[in-house]
Amino acid sequence: MTSLRLLSVDPSDRGSQRCRLGPGLMSALGLGLGSPVLVSVPGGSCLCTAWPRPDLAEGFLQMDLKCSSAGLISHPPACLTLDPGQLTPVPCPRLKGVKITVVVRSVDFKKHTSPRLVHELVKDMLKGLCVHTEHVINLGDFDTDIKYVVIESTKMESGSAGLITSKTSVEIADIQTVRHYRGQLQGQRTVPLGGLEEVSASLKEMLQLPLLYPNTLSSLGLSCPRGVLLMGPPGVGKTVLVRKVVGEVGASLVVIRGPEVVGSRPGESEEKLRAVFERARSAAEEGPCVLFLDELDSLCPRRTSLSAPENRLVAQLLTLMDGMNRSDRFLIVGATNRPDSLDPALRRPGRFDREVIIGAPTLLQRKDILSVLCARMPVCPSVDLAELARNTTGYVGADLSALCREAAMNGSGGQEVAMKYFQEALKLVRPSCLRSSLGRTELSPVLWEQIGGLDDVKLKLQQSIEWPMRYPEAFVRLGLSRPRGVLLYGPPGCAKTTLVKAAAASSHCAFLSVSGADLYSPYVGDSEKALAQVLALQSATTPANVCVIH
Amino acid sequence: MSKPALLPLHQALRRSFQSVEMNQKVWSGVLADCSPLMESLGNLAEQSRALSNVQLSNTPLRVFPDLKDRLRFKLLRATDTVLGQLNDKMCSLQSVRESISNQVAAVFQLYEQHRDSLDLPAVTECSATVPSLSDMLEWLQDAERHYRQQRKTLLQTLRADDLSLLESAPKRWKSLECPSAEDSVTDTLYKVSFFTAAQ
Repeated sequence: MTSLRLLSVDPSDRGSQRCRLGPGLMSALGLGLGSPVLVSVPGGSCLCTAWPRPDLAEGFLQMDLKCSSAGLISHPPACLTLDPGQLTPVPCPRLKGVKITVVVRSVDFKKHTSPRLVHELVKDMLKGLCVHTEHVINLGDFDTDIKYVVIESTKMESGSAGLITSKTSVEIADIQTVRHYRGQLQGQRTVPLGGLEEVSASLKEMLQLPLLYPNTLSSLGLSCPRGVLLMGPPGVGKTVLVRKVVGEVGASLVVIRGPEVVGSRPGESEEKLRAVFERARSAAEEGPCVLFLDELDSLCPRRTSLSAPENRLVAQLLTLMDGMNRSDRFLIVGATNRPDSLDPALRRPGRFDREVIIGAPTLLQRKDILSVLCARMPVCPSVDLAELARNTTGYVGADLSALCREAAMNGSGGQEVAMKYFQEALKLVRPSCLRSSLGRTELSPVLWEQIGGLDDVKLKLQQSIEWPMRYPEAFVRLGLSRPRGVLLYGPPGCAKTTLVKAAAASSHCAFLSVSGADLYSPYVGDSEKALAQVLALQSATTPANVCVIH
Repeated sequence: MSKPALLPLHQALRRSFQSVEMNQKVWSGVLADCSPLMESLGNLAEQSRALSNVQLSNTPLRVFPDLKDRLRFKLLRATDTVLGQLNDKMCSLQSVRESISNQVAAVFQLYEQHRDSLDLPAVTECSATVPSLSDMLEWLQDAERHYRQQRKTLLQTLRADDLSLLESAPKRWKSLECPSAEDSVTDTLYKVSFFTAAQ
């Protein structure tokens, strides 16, 4: 049988729950006029009633998404070719009762409309529809404040589809607003995150305690933490983590990205900020809500001069955070990669009570991240993720995903991605922490064998640099602490630099090289600042790093 | 071969279209009566708003005792009367709706009974004067859906304490009017006019 092309629905059919088929296909499926049929498409399914096309043409399908699974509401199917086997006739007996959740347009409507009226309206609008459990009925075509109805369950012995008649009893389990409902839908589609389980668990606990048990905390006389500050280098997944945790907790999310709030007119930014807080407050009336301030450092820089306009914005944010009542059930999460440039007043308890530091991922975390990233890629079984994780010191989540993408692109399309493609990608993708920063040097790998003699020095270097990284458990067992620094001295030309290069190459770790001339600056304090920057960089990319100052 | 099954269906369809035609007249008549009522509702809301804004003690009218309360009472009573009249109109609209719904449901039930004897070529067969069965059923369903739109919601969500809601009511009432849908019902009736005339 020929396949069907899915076309968009005819405007006159909108809201009619019809799906238009060729008459030949209808008789092949044994469908009469208006017989219910379940169409499965990627991402969900849709329950329709079958009608012949007005022009009686075969090979096309148009369906109205009046009753479809939740995924199709936000992502309607388009440009698809369907197989006739994806259409199944379903019996639709008359239903005795349904349990539904009503989704309305605004909080105002929810607050001011009596449940009896909502019940009456919904019952009237649902009459004559075929419904399927866990499907969403789109009532947008009635042009009222009631937008969707989610069918929670139906009273039926068998099957999951049925017809609502005037005798069907309708029970409303819950009334939600559209914003809240959409937030929940988004929460269901979370991406797996590797290596952040620990941070994610602690953040989740922090969110869940005050949001889910507000009464318990108040009866204990505790004020729950209202602000959490996430800090870490760029690309470790701060933003993704917040979205994921919020989705898992089932809270709604209000996001401000710092630069979006800033306006050109005086007072405009403060006004926008107040509006966002107001939005979060109204969202919090329906259920837990998280206000997420991304790139907090741009919104709230350290106040310096007296009359800078940012000072007022910072002050506004501080007062808004202070003005949050205990009854406001929303939590503020800020994320930044430059905690030092934040205004110190923000970081006192009562504002951002807790600070969560997400560092560059460790070996195990990198392995987790890689396994999550590779789960959806056709990876050759010979690829050793542990080996790859060992070679990617200093890479953050974003770097690793770039690495996997590069490897997949290196491998010709359609084939499995082999280890050699990852090796090639490693040459291209470098840790983003080290990008364009002081001390970063390109080096051609030097092998130990290329340096003749000096065997005792080589052994010493291997012992102090490579061994702590290769055999950390042995060091722990013997109670040894790893050496902090090595000083090489000798006359010019006796391969000091080459030795260090060989050590860096053999240990696969990031190599920062700073020469004394780089650091020198005529300004007071400038050299110290540069040195501090290099060492901060080094600590960001620990545990494996060689930093040479010569 | 399908003639015996088609005949009662055609008769039922004829009856339904006639009832749709009749009801359409009633419907548009009632709606025409409603619009001045909605206008006066908006007007009353505007007056109430003006009353709440004015400081009567600053005007020469301050010599009248309790003027503000009396005026408010008068306005509220007038609003009540208008709403009562609108409610009556809604009832007649509701009865139009119900009669159409019942007709359509009856026709569909009849079709379900004869479904096995009617194959798809038979239901999609049409001639110059008789549209196909599937088209006619579809038009009936469309007409029923048109008359099911929710005008009542607008009235039921009105509250005396929210004046802006009352003030915007006439505008929203107008926006509910959908001439194209009304026209499509009229079109349908033209399309079946030969069919209904041929008894």
